[in-house]
Amino acid sequence: MNTLRILTMLAWRNLWRNHRRTLIMLGAVVIGVWAMIFMTALTMGMVNDMIEDSISVLPGHVQVHHPDYLDDPNITNLLPLTDDVIAETFESAGFLAWATRIKVPAVLSSERESRGVTLLGIDPQREEVMSFVDYGAVEGRFLDGPDDAGLVIGRKLAETLETELGKRVVLMSQDPDNDIADRGFRVVGLFSADVQAYEEQYVFAGKKTVQNLLRVGDRVTAIVVLGDDYRNVEPVYEKVHALVDDGVTVSRWTELDTYLGTMLRVMDGFVIVWVIIIFLALSFGLVNTLVMAVFERVREIGLMLALGMKPSSILGQIVIESMMLLVIGLAIGNLLAWASIKPLESGIDVSVVAEGMAMMGAASVLYPQLRFEDVILANTVVLILGFFASLSPAWRASRFQPIEAITKVN
Amino acid sequence: MTAVRCVDLCKTYRQGDQDIKALDHLSMEVEDGGFVCLSSPSGGGKTTLLNAIGGLDKPDSGEVYIAGDRIDNLSKGALAELRLHRIGFVFQAFNLIPVLSARENVEFVMQVQGVPASERRGKSLEILEEVGLEGLEDRLPSEMSGGQQQRVAVARAIVSNPALVLADEPTANLDSKTADGLIDLFKHLNEHHGTTFIIATHDQRVMAYAKRLVRMLDGRIVEEIDQNAA
Amino acid sequence: MNLVLRLAWRNLWRQPRRTWLTTGAMVFSNVLLVFMISLQFGMYRLMIENSLQAFTGHMQVQARGYNDDKKMRQTVPDIVALANDLRTELGSDEVAARATAFALASSEDRSYGIAVFGVEPQFEPNVSSIPGLVRDGRYLDSNDAAEIVIGAVLARNLRVEVGDELTLLGSGKDGSFAAVVADVVGIFDSGVAELDRTIAEMPLGLFQDVFYMRGEGHQVAVNAPRLGQVAELRQRVAGLLPAEQDLVVQDWDALLPGLKQAIQADISSAVFMYGVLVILVAFSVLNTQLMSVLERTHEFGIVLALGLKPGRLGRLVMLETAMMGTIGLLIGALIGGALTAWLGVQGFTMPGMDEMGAKFNLPSRLHPEVTIASLLSGPAVVFLFSLLASVYPALRLRRLHPVEAMRAA
Repeated sequence: MNTLRILTMLAWRNLWRNHRRTLIMLGAVVIGVWAMIFMTALTMGMVNDMIEDSISVLPGHVQVHHPDYLDDPNITNLLPLTDDVIAETFESAGFLAWATRIKVPAVLSSERESRGVTLLGIDPQREEVMSFVDYGAVEGRFLDGPDDAGLVIGRKLAETLETELGKRVVLMSQDPDNDIADRGFRVVGLFSADVQAYEEQYVFAGKKTVQNLLRVGDRVTAIVVLGDDYRNVEPVYEKVHALVDDGVTVSRWTELDTYLGTMLRVMDGFVIVWVIIIFLALSFGLVNTLVMAVFERVREIGLMLALGMKPSSILGQIVIESMMLLVIGLAIGNLLAWASIKPLESGIDVSVVAEGMAMMGAASVLYPQLRFEDVILANTVVLILGFFASLSPAWRASRFQPIEAITKVN
Repeated sequence: MTAVRCVDLCKTYRQGDQDIKALDHLSMEVEDGGFVCLSSPSGGGKTTLLNAIGGLDKPDSGEVYIAGDRIDNLSKGALAELRLHRIGFVFQAFNLIPVLSARENVEFVMQVQGVPASERRGKSLEILEEVGLEGLEDRLPSEMSGGQQQRVAVARAIVSNPALVLADEPTANLDSKTADGLIDLFKHLNEHHGTTFIIATHDQRVMAYAKRLVRMLDGRIVEEIDQNAA
Repeated sequence: MNLVLRLAWRNLWRQPRRTWLTTGAMVFSNVLLVFMISLQFGMYRLMIENSLQAFTGHMQVQARGYNDDKKMRQTVPDIVALANDLRTELGSDEVAARATAFALASSEDRSYGIAVFGVEPQFEPNVSSIPGLVRDGRYLDSNDAAEIVIGAVLARNLRVEVGDELTLLGSGKDGSFAAVVADVVGIFDSGVAELDRTIAEMPLGLFQDVFYMRGEGHQVAVNAPRLGQVAELRQRVAGLLPAEQDLVVQDWDALLPGLKQAIQADISSAVFMYGVLVILVAFSVLNTQLMSVLERTHEFGIVLALGLKPGRLGRLVMLETAMMGTIGLLIGALIGGALTAWLGVQGFTMPGMDEMGAKFNLPSRLHPEVTIASLLSGPAVVFLFSLLASVYPALRLRRLHPVEAMRAA
């Protein structure tokens, strides 16, 4: 252990022997580490928002449908279970949130225009926690219960249809017998959404109202369940699966939105790749620094070997020197990253490219997300790869022959 | 007891297209407490002999014994151990580790040997005093003169009481006054600690002091002079 | 000059490992940059082309305000004549007139709200890839037959096949009731969910009858031979429009605003990443050159004492950097170009590209193309920043005093 102490002391002092070189290398490490973490936070933040957005539209982490519904989202493909049966089993299961709903294509007509929309018959209280609509921010009011007779549509849709709060519109859809089911509704609320397409697409009505309109009794098209971690839906999935029988399909959100499900995986991979690329760019400089340092110290390494120090100690010394540099760089880099992300946590305004973001499924404000796992990943990669990068110059140093080293002339 | 015994050592180097015989069937003995000077013109083989004795280099053939133990057939690791515990070195230049202070340089070998801190400290300060560097313990090599650096090197060489100290041209870079001081130090240590000294040099003053002077030429011993009278 | 070049070159190789490591950093970055930039440029071009080709076209003639409001009454008068005129003036067949309306499509068991387009069957294939992607049956061939072509997803949702009938109900331009029964003659599969699910095409003549258009329409799609010529063509078309009608030519940026911005967003994040790489390389160069200069202080001192001006020494250092930079650029561009070209032939794919690509009209296998721009732009920036990095060491030389310098180790 004595040896370790002296090696550490030698490594530390040698690090600061040429402080300009060390500081420059340190600077590079700090920038590299900062970039790793900063970029990761931005990317993961964007992906996180996109996913939470999508989940708020689906909504939920796990859904249950009739086996044919996903291919053919038609009113004939109702869940074989009824609302009260579902309520019995699901209520006591202890999910964070769950709800049943009806989702069918419909046509909404105002005096002037008609548009194809997606009609959602919901239980507003149950869905509030999962929904992309901020009930409190709705112009007018949101639905107050599954029996509510009013209609809530998106602001943009109201514009397109040239209608307003308080006006009447006609909703038309199909019932299970393929007869037209239509009724007049009063627009009681206008909602806004981050993604304008949602405003044009979705109209909300009370679940019971829709059930009546479509003459389906107390059947629904979907059960939606929310867990607490979208990255880990298996437990919820299993639980839901256990509560229902084979006559239905249980789907995870990654299956319902394959684009984002894939994107999550891709982005996780991207983070690692990015970290490694930066490290590789740094490693050239790191190895160079060590090689130069060793080269300058050939004689004294020879001296130490002549005095009886073991080659492994020489190797250890160089490696420790390198690791010290990296640890300091990591510490400062991490701090810098945290300091630069914190103020941005209230959001980076990218509305300049709002529609482009919408195309990718993201909102026009980016919220960086600094995740513990990502920080650990970056630090670990740097330390481990740094260790291996320093092995080569350290190994070569330990192979010096004492006499040659001592008598080496530059 | 014989401190060092060399039997029929041979070592040849290739330089360009010539073979140079650095050691040519050389045999020699040094007794305990001896003070031997090896002298030769440059390239005469004295450094090679010193390296062979110190376990820094293996002869092509022949045997080397330190205190009766054969060392020329030891592994690199064992040789390192040997150098660590039983032999002290003083080189011509670059003897010290630049980032360590005088005291730390002296303690270096002890630390690698595993000697506890309190003991190390005491011994190193004592030795530094003995070589006349009291008060300069915390100076870095860059803050000391050439002579002072050499003294620190000597202190380090003897602090762990090695049986043998090998010095290669220790006074080459020193002015005459400092060189004299260093030689006096060697004399003192040899007399008071009984340490065996083998010094390769072509400095007349050192040679004058040697109890025994060994002249070498082209890898052979050509003359041995007993100067015990000095 | 020759002497200075030789000197600079030899100086580089005094410490071969150091030079190679520094150059190595440049090569690494350059290879990455060449590959990624080639991939990006190619990807963007493909995204744009595919998106526009699918249905939008490079530009469209529309009534002013139509792009924002999309109201049925915002029409282009006498649209077929206008399209004919444009075809004649431009000497091109890549002009097609269209009209559109919302309608409820009903099959035997299903109904869906869709967007119906009246198109010119003869010319539509020149501006849209949909006619070419008819999977079952055929495309439209007459201008007034009661025929309709629908997307694969819509066909599935409506449970219809080629030969079945669809009833369309909607409102005409004047608000009156519009209805028609048409035969499904073809089903197309474009791969774009949006199109396959919501679009149906019928002959323009039929559309104008059914929806009481009175010869009017909503869009004239025009394609340029190449994406690069769009701006110029747009000017020409604008000049050919009748002045008294308030018509505008929208280019694809206005038609698909998301696309350009998505690309811009992607470029921004890419620039950030490239920037970081370039800076790291610059640091490496700074370190190397600084060390190289410092260890030659003594020798520089001698040279200065002999009468050389400090400025020339500075230039020597910059020259050394330029040489390293050139090596890094050449090797990096070579390897990067070769790698990219090879992948261009092999095709490049990453896990997840299928789903992600589909959203942006990209195939699941990309074939990056190396162009002069993509080959040299990245390495050129690396070269530039490397030179910048060696400015500091070079400047230090200017302040060197011969005597002090010679006293250095």
